[in-house]
Amino acid sequence: MMKIGNYTLRWQMVLTILVLTVLCLVWIYPFLWMISASLKTQSEIFSSGLNLIPQEPQWQNYQRAWVDAQFSRYMINTVLITIGTVVLTIISTSLAGYVLGRYTFIGRRPFMALLAGTIFIPAGYTIIPTVDLANKLGLLNSLWGVILVMAGTGNVIHILLFSAYFSSLPKELEEAAVLDGAGFLTVFFRVMLPLAGPVVATVTILKFLGAWNNFFVPLVFTFSRPDLRTLSVGMFAFVGENETDWSGMAAAATISLIPVIIIFFVMQRRFVEGIAGAVKQ
Amino acid sequence: MSERDIRLKLENLVKEFPERGGKGTVRAVDSISLNIYSGEFLTLLGPSGCGKTTTLRLIAGFEGPTSGQILLDGKDITPQPPNKRDMALVFQNYALFPHMSVFDNVGYGLQTRGMSRSDIRDKVEESLGLMGLKGLGDRRPNQLSGGQQQRVALARSLIMEPRILLFDEPLSNLDAKLRVQMRSEIHSLQRRLNITSIYVTHDQIEAMALSDRVVVMNGGQIEQIGSPEQIYRYPASRFVADFIGRANFVPVAIDSTNNGTAQINVLGRECQVPLQFDYRAGMDVVAMLRPEVLSLREDPTLQQVQIEQTMYLGSEVEYIVRSGEQTFVVAEKDPRLQKVYSEGGTVGLDYISEAVHLLPA
Ligand SMILES: Nc1ncnc2c1ncn2[C@@H]1O[C@H](COP(=O)(O)OP(=O)(O)O)[C@@H](O)[C@H]1O
Ligand SMILES: [Mg+2]
Repeated sequence: MMKIGNYTLRWQMVLTILVLTVLCLVWIYPFLWMISASLKTQSEIFSSGLNLIPQEPQWQNYQRAWVDAQFSRYMINTVLITIGTVVLTIISTSLAGYVLGRYTFIGRRPFMALLAGTIFIPAGYTIIPTVDLANKLGLLNSLWGVILVMAGTGNVIHILLFSAYFSSLPKELEEAAVLDGAGFLTVFFRVMLPLAGPVVATVTILKFLGAWNNFFVPLVFTFSRPDLRTLSVGMFAFVGENETDWSGMAAAATISLIPVIIIFFVMQRRFVEGIAGAVKQ
Repeated sequence: MSERDIRLKLENLVKEFPERGGKGTVRAVDSISLNIYSGEFLTLLGPSGCGKTTTLRLIAGFEGPTSGQILLDGKDITPQPPNKRDMALVFQNYALFPHMSVFDNVGYGLQTRGMSRSDIRDKVEESLGLMGLKGLGDRRPNQLSGGQQQRVALARSLIMEPRILLFDEPLSNLDAKLRVQMRSEIHSLQRRLNITSIYVTHDQIEAMALSDRVVVMNGGQIEQIGSPEQIYRYPASRFVADFIGRANFVPVAIDSTNNGTAQINVLGRECQVPLQFDYRAGMDVVAMLRPEVLSLREDPTLQQVQIEQTMYLGSEVEYIVRSGEQTFVVAEKDPRLQKVYSEGGTVGLDYISEAVHLLPA
């Protein structure tokens, strides 16, 4: 037995902690490796084995990624695209979920079934008609094109999350607002949407991750406009014909990941609430 | 009251809902006609499921009637949406906006009307003061007690100065003591502001305490409309008599009628009772005797009854007595001044004949 402060730890507990610690390390090792690689020299990455501590931090890897590989520009593009996508998605999916969850109308059930059915269509199948449509609308090679395509797809789960949440709120809230003279949009944006905070947080995180990491759509939509590339597409610039700049790529990847981690920590409590709340219904 | 004072007029209102999980329809409101006068406090009273809430929601405009009309100050408002009707509703669950402060909850209606910030501030502060909520404006609804939330809900409704104030069982979520306190606050507030009010409840005491007139409903229809005293003393049906307070029923035949009184034989005694309804000699009717109309006395000329139960309740003693097949509930006021009879004994059953009321059989 071992004593730590007031706690007496049995050996089973010690074992559990050890096992969990090892699992944790295995889980985050690739991530740590990436950060460490971003501070190593090209040759050190392959010579130092599992060792995570760089001999001497190579900060110029970040300089290469941020300035030479234009990751500063890609970061701006990605932020614009992600914000646009998330905002449009929140507005459209919450409104759709509100109507589906709160109103009864003819064809509601078949519509819900159809909606749920589209979950099973693989995303890749729709890219050709989507690109064709975007081309005809003159949206190819523009940030707007990327935003509209990403905000308009893969939203069924989000709509169902909102729908379940809204249908669980008492109808008296809307009625009270209506009596106070609020119209449909006011009721929705002033009363219902603020109450759906946990779902908004959940959908924001899911959509944020999807948009931030999306590779396929921005790749296709920015073929002839390298200045519109996103971080994930820009990563490919490090793969040369003869050699690959692994340390530069690791630095770029680290840069791309930092905003994701910040967002998650800021929103994680509401995120968990949203998932738990949606499941409870 | 004259036609001019009619604030709201319901004409043959019918509301049918599709049956839940079935093919038929449920008639929640079945041909209701009713006048509500300006400044009046009217209560819809009835057992759960009798259509009170549906009637209120028809008035508020949250439901459209299957047929019938609603007139507000003589104008047909049946097709108008709730926000055009100039009414406010105090909900059973208060329906306060959880994400807004008390101040914003109360001021919300003024804000959507486009009133200026400073005017809203003045009116809301005044209203919070009136409701005893001074200093609570910055709180969120979930930081208030049930009674305080109820007051916020009232303040929010009153601030709009509606032409009619609607209540749907507003006190049913409060504990007994608070309920009595809020009841008397609503009473004095309504009398002070003289605001036309329609109040829904299944609690007959609440209805009697608050109302100018009570509408007793059953199965989507109106059983009786009258002042609290009228419906208590002269119920129009056995249902009303039973629902409002407690009653003993004795089947009797009318021997003769004369000058608005009927000659009947109740508990072995001939008596004259005033006629409230159109009954004729020979008809079978039911005599209603409230428990407080009955009393026990040691008098061999009275109908003799066995005392089955004696319950000492402080301000009164309650007996359950038996005469043959029939049992009676007897309530004697102030036990200090009377003899308390013990269970198992036999005693005479007396009644005040003027207080006997006849009902259709
Ligand atoms: N939206 C609805 N759909 C179907 N039936 C309903 C609906 N609203 C009320 N009812 C039915 O109408 C009847 C009256 O309900 P309600 O007006 O709520 O009664 P109360 O308020 O007196 O308890 C009940 O039988 C109820 O089940
Ligand atoms: Mg009800």
